[in-house]
Amino acid sequence: MKKKIALFLAFLVLSGIVLFCLQALLIPKNMSGKLLEGALISEYYDNAGHNDVIFIGDCEVYENFSPITMWEEYGITSIIRGSPQQLIWQSYYLMEETLRYEKPKVMVFNVLSMKYDTPDSTKEQEKREEYNRLTLDGMRWSESKWNSMLASMSKEEREDKVFTVASYLLPILRYHDRWNQLTEEDFKYWFTRDTVSDNGYLMKTGKVPMTNHEERPLISYDFGENSWYYLEKMTKLCKDNGIELVLIKAPAVSPKWWPQWDEQIETYAAENDLLYINMLEHQEEIGIDWDNDTYDAGLHLNVYGAEKAARWFGKVLQEKFQLADHRVESYLSGIWAEKCETYHNRKKEMEEK
Amino acid sequence: MKKLIAILLALSLMLCFAACGETTPDTPDQPQNKEPVQDSYSFTYNGKKVALHAPMTEVIAALGKEKSYSESASCAFEGLDKTYGYGSFYIQTYPIGDKDYVYSFWFVDDMVETDEGICIGSTLADVQTAYGTEGYNGSNAYQLTKGSGQLTIILENDAVTSIQYVIIAE
Repeated sequence: MKKKIALFLAFLVLSGIVLFCLQALLIPKNMSGKLLEGALISEYYDNAGHNDVIFIGDCEVYENFSPITMWEEYGITSIIRGSPQQLIWQSYYLMEETLRYEKPKVMVFNVLSMKYDTPDSTKEQEKREEYNRLTLDGMRWSESKWNSMLASMSKEEREDKVFTVASYLLPILRYHDRWNQLTEEDFKYWFTRDTVSDNGYLMKTGKVPMTNHEERPLISYDFGENSWYYLEKMTKLCKDNGIELVLIKAPAVSPKWWPQWDEQIETYAAENDLLYINMLEHQEEIGIDWDNDTYDAGLHLNVYGAEKAARWFGKVLQEKFQLADHRVESYLSGIWAEKCETYHNRKKEMEEK
Repeated sequence: MKKLIAILLALSLMLCFAACGETTPDTPDQPQNKEPVQDSYSFTYNGKKVALHAPMTEVIAALGKEKSYSESASCAFEGLDKTYGYGSFYIQTYPIGDKDYVYSFWFVDDMVETDEGICIGSTLADVQTAYGTEGYNGSNAYQLTKGSGQLTIILENDAVTSIQYVIIAE
């Protein structure tokens, strides 16, 4: 009998190992091509701790600010927890989860995602589940991830909730059919990953001059109830933890940031004693040159623009919140010297391509 | 016993690969080869008809070269939203494979009107005469659907300020 139990246990362990290895092979690696963004969230954990500033939000944070520049200019330690089309509840739960690892002095939230009130209100519905994965799959398991997953489900996911939940717990259920799409990359990064970002900043060096982006007017410019609910939760979370919450609208001209939206955030910030900066109003001070500082005609900044934005914003943060200059600390200087070297090498390589 | 373990192991592997029957693409940008449905709204400009879902190459052939053009890439996935400006209206497209189709169009001045005769500046009464009261939200907008398209008319101070057509989920 004992032998049978031992054999059964051995079988379970062996099955578990096989399952783990298969899952590791089949999940997308996001190490090249256009889906590098899918690797951003998980890169935080290796860089957690000692960050005075944490940026949270959508592509307007991970494309528009260079933490390395903020370090080099002001000695500010910062990191970006950004992911594509990150929705406000995902940002909130990332914020909440961050507090398990560190307690920054400032949390910076990009308010563009206020425009999406529910998972069903985003434009690219057929891609909603995949966008969710780009944020959620990279998170480590915690109550925050669980709640974020439940809050994020698309209509399609809600229709098969049990499977959806199971597929987050066991991603092989979601990705099992990739077996015939496996590439060299899947084997190369089977158990390891490269670092694709510089403290959450995803570098782009291309230059495509800005064009005029037209958008359809809206019936209502009022942000939705759910968006306000999560912004309120962010405010409370930060206040309860003695963290300064800073609301920003990053300097990107499309999607359009309507004046009516700006007004609502301004009012909210004033009522809650928060700093709100619409960086579109400071383009000249920042020094953005829309012919040379954007890689996609004004939707996002390239590295030259992101460095300018970081230089300007770092100064604002340092003056407003008296953030320490950590460059005098040998331990942090050592860590950041490596980060700076990686960043400048990456920049050089990308410029030479 | 060894046979039993082998069978169980094989079964568990099979389950992994066959856990669900549906294919769930992780690369959503793969072209869908289905032809777009053409059962929806259109408008006429200088005698040329422009319809939702119409191939953009045909629209350009009919209307001539656009006066302005911009494109927006998705944050993470492949595919470009392209916007063509023709002065009085804009047309936005969606891609299927290497072709672009009309996703939306909207009017920005009174040089163009809906097939029912409504243009920027028309009154609420004009809109009600043309479309009835169904679809009116009681304050500032009409939203009507036809096939896979939606017509939105926005009003301010009793006058139409925006007319837009867009494809909604089918």
